Amino acid sequence: MSEVLGEDPEVILAERRYDAIARIMESAVRKEEGKWTFTDMLDHVFLHRALGIPIFLVLLWAVFQFTFAFSEPFMVMVEVFFGWLGGLAAAGIANPQLASFVADGLCGGVGSVLVFVPPIFMLFLALAILEDSGYLSRAAFVMDRVMYKLGLHGRSFIPMISGFGCNIPAIMATRSIESEKDRMITILVNPLISCGARLPVYVLIGGALFGAAAGTAVFSMYVLGIALAILMALIFRKTLFKGKPAPFVLELPHYMVPKAKTAILHMWERGKLFLIRAGTIIFVVVVLLWFLSVYPWAATNGGEIIENSYVAGLGKAIQPIFAPFGWDWMTTVAIIFGFLAKEVVVATYAMLLGTGEEAVGDTLVSIGLFTPLTGYAFMAFVLIYVPCVATIGAIWRETNSWKWPVFTMVYLTVLAFVVSGLIIGIGRLLGYT
Amino acid sequence: MTDFDIGKGKTIGIYAAVIGVVYLVLGVIEVFGGAGDVIPGDLFGGLALVVIAATFLYGIKSTFDGDHKGLSFLIGGLFLSAVFGILYLLLMGADGLMFLLGEADEFSVLADFRPAIWMFILSLPLAYLARGLTKDVTW
Repeated sequence: MSEVLGEDPEVILAERRYDAIARIMESAVRKEEGKWTFTDMLDHVFLHRALGIPIFLVLLWAVFQFTFAFSEPFMVMVEVFFGWLGGLAAAGIANPQLASFVADGLCGGVGSVLVFVPPIFMLFLALAILEDSGYLSRAAFVMDRVMYKLGLHGRSFIPMISGFGCNIPAIMATRSIESEKDRMITILVNPLISCGARLPVYVLIGGALFGAAAGTAVFSMYVLGIALAILMALIFRKTLFKGKPAPFVLELPHYMVPKAKTAILHMWERGKLFLIRAGTIIFVVVVLLWFLSVYPWAATNGGEIIENSYVAGLGKAIQPIFAPFGWDWMTTVAIIFGFLAKEVVVATYAMLLGTGEEAVGDTLVSIGLFTPLTGYAFMAFVLIYVPCVATIGAIWRETNSWKWPVFTMVYLTVLAFVVSGLIIGIGRLLGYT
Repeated sequence: MTDFDIGKGKTIGIYAAVIGVVYLVLGVIEVFGGAGDVIPGDLFGGLALVVIAATFLYGIKSTFDGDHKGLSFLIGGLFLSAVFGILYLLLMGADGLMFLLGEADEFSVLADFRPAIWMFILSLPLAYLARGLTKDVTW
């Protein structure tokens, strides 16, 4: 049938279904005489077969340019504040261990994560504007054709976009997918969508290594995540969950001019999760990291000689696994603690490098921890490898089995090694170091 | 039967064609490395300009015929033009703020005045003309 029709019969059926809906609407809904609406007009463009996807991609790129470049001065302001606070604590507390804990642990560690509040809130604001305008459901619609051909359900795209905020509600949102196979595939690939917690890592490494092209480097991580999610969905469809995706019918809301108050509320609802994490899990991990990086107190000379710390011992023991990528023990530690929460990767560097928030990126470059090639491979690794522990918990709850969270961790770790290895290998072949 | 006056459609169509072609030329120049400070090289920024150009150019024939679908593409192009024009204006503001904070060595309005901004300004008369044809259109 596909050969005769030149198109997948399911796609033709979906189109016929929409035609039927349009005919029913025509006879049942009365519009003002001879008038078309802005919604009709914009849909001609945004749902266009050829232009729809390029428009979606350039809008997504604009979102990340806005997120990265516009938030820069606000990040500087937060950096200056925490730098000042750390200096104040270091100078004002007599007990050296307590001073180190407050200045390096709290201000340095938690502060280095809070520096990324501006880009995260900007990202959520931009996504809220797209959502409130009615565009995001169009994005799901235009992606449906591609997704269907690749074995994913069109409805899967909405949880995938929600994943830009946080993978946990995105995984919970898969409950709206009726077909169990479609739902399972969407759950398993969702951790590949870059959540807000990965953004600080991209901004830190991208900003330090790629200068004016940092926004594009960050954007490329989001595109890489979507591409890998689609690729893995295709593989799962051909192997674990054989069959065709269920047909996709989506009600498209009218376009509207987003209201500032609603967009800000949406931004706050999503962004506050980041603040809560900074005050809970990140705080606890940072305290643990501080302890491991300054003790044994005498051997590290009060945290001055970090090479003698417990954390250095841990990192050096595991580092050989990452040696082919050119990553040292500090990066190894960042990867290990990043499993608890991805933002901790940034806090780890701030603490291990012993610099203020404003200097972490520059120090990463100046001490030669990364080249653009190894840094880019690291960004990809952080994108792909084991999602945070809370996401693993969400997968367990939604699948009601330990089998799938374990499977997710294994396949993502293998994929992270493969993709980062390919980036390093291809980069070296092209002459990059 | 046409959706709007063909004479007005031709005026708007010609303006959109010019804007579309200029967007296309600028986009291609940006993709292939730019030309001096005025048109800096920017792969994705250039591709965005090419997509805006394609949106404008796609609707020209229908606009000439007085079909509202043609006008749709012009409005879509204007929307994208506004998104990128405002985006680069915000980035210019951010660069200025970085300079005021002492994080940037210099701030040049001319260097930050990217093609997407001046094309947005040049497309505003088109928005005014299109507004004349869509006064009664509701959301």
